Amino acid sequence: MALDLSVITDNIPLFLEGAWMTLRIAAAAFVAGMAIGTLAAVASLSGIAPLRWLVAGYIAIMRGIPFIVLLFLIHYGLPAAGIRNPALVNGIAALSLFAGAYYTEIIRACVRALPKGQWESARAIGMSPFAAARIVIVPQILAPMVPPVVNCTMTMIKESSVISSITVAELTFSGLVVQGNTFAPFEVFIAVALLYWLICGLFATAARAFESRLAGTRRNRGLTPLVGRYLILEGRRT
Amino acid sequence: MIPPALRATNLTRSFGQTRALDEVYFEIPKGEVVSLVGPSGCGKSTLLRTLLWLDPPDEGFVEVGGQYLGRERIGAVVRNQTRRQIDRIRPRIGMVYQSLNLWPHLTARENVERPQRVVASKSAAQARATADGLFERLQIGGLAGRRPSELSGGQKQRVAIARALAMEPEIMLFDEPTSALDPELVGEVLALLRDFAATGMTMMVVTHELAFARDVASRLMFMDRGRIVADGPPARVISDRSNPRVAEFFDRVTAFHPAFRAEPIPKETTP
Repeated sequence: MALDLSVITDNIPLFLEGAWMTLRIAAAAFVAGMAIGTLAAVASLSGIAPLRWLVAGYIAIMRGIPFIVLLFLIHYGLPAAGIRNPALVNGIAALSLFAGAYYTEIIRACVRALPKGQWESARAIGMSPFAAARIVIVPQILAPMVPPVVNCTMTMIKESSVISSITVAELTFSGLVVQGNTFAPFEVFIAVALLYWLICGLFATAARAFESRLAGTRRNRGLTPLVGRYLILEGRRT
Repeated sequence: MIPPALRATNLTRSFGQTRALDEVYFEIPKGEVVSLVGPSGCGKSTLLRTLLWLDPPDEGFVEVGGQYLGRERIGAVVRNQTRRQIDRIRPRIGMVYQSLNLWPHLTARENVERPQRVVASKSAAQARATADGLFERLQIGGLAGRRPSELSGGQKQRVAIARALAMEPEIMLFDEPTSALDPELVGEVLALLRDFAATGMTMMVVTHELAFARDVASRLMFMDRGRIVADGPPARVISDRSNPRVAEFFDRVTAFHPAFRAEPIPKETTP
């Protein structure tokens, strides 16, 4: 059986449209997920027991159910409770909640890994919790956060294909549409796979660049004053 | 009347069944150098953390230069302070931690300048002038641009001291300042503390350097099982045999350092 590449070339606009939608969904879920993750990590580290339990429950649920079930709960379950949103919004919400749980764990672990004295010395000298976080904690957790966040985000990008099942016109969905028109699944899904691989590759490359920028400040200190503050602890990452 | 630099009233802290602090009372007037000595696990570290309100006591009060820290008593009313109130008074206690707790992502200069800017709202120029002055005084003037990882243990400690001094505290607390240092640096740090004492700085030093406690400090507090069991001029506390725990501790020290008590210590009658 020969591959009919015209199936791909004829439908390039459709594929690109889908890829663009996937990219936007992933970006929105990344931003929203990070916001959720930061808030939940702070709540969990706050020492207020009910908040800690709430976050623990959230993480346990997100990690314990399949993403597609979460998606169906939001997309088909919420309307039953009178909350109606477009499929795209529901898809992004589900993906954000899903990724947010993992981001929470990452942020929490990175903060926990710092010596307790870092936080205490900042607080004892009179810094507010916010100032201590901004000046002492955040600059020290950025670099160790990068590798696990990249892992988790790539999983999230790939998981976004599930959103096609609630009729959001993202990359997998456009693949399904083209396949329905052409009856050439092999060609179509090769194209879809390549595009996913491209998106993930782009993201990984960008993350690597960001990471080496963080790490590079130690070698060329003074060149990037803004990032200079965000350098890595000696020997923390090897 | 000048309020004492630091006053602890009835500090009590329990962890389950054990009493880490048991009705601790003391007053440190301005200019006094107090050494806090005691066997490990006696509550010295808990006391320091409690004084900074990092580990709030179950009961009791801390006053810094006449101001309550953490919990206040107005007339008969006792209430806990807000976070903001605590943050405002905390910098009046300067703390040098055993593990120093310098911020590794900032240079020595930034370690000293950032708190001044953020907490004391000083201008960049003021903060810089203070930092430079302290670095000069502590003889680390050329190292301001380095990060803690690029400094030796003794240099790091001076940065930590500068960071605390920059806030112009009423009293400086040192938690075992010599324990993390090479033996040859110990003398250097003790000399530094001696200089501080000579300038009239109020200090409380948790130490295992009994020679320091004996020769530099003007007062020795001996802690055991969460209580301050002896408090007075060092020579008297060391030679006093009325408290068996204190006597036993110094006997054991004397066994290893025969010269420790050998020097003539003025005998005083216990009150």
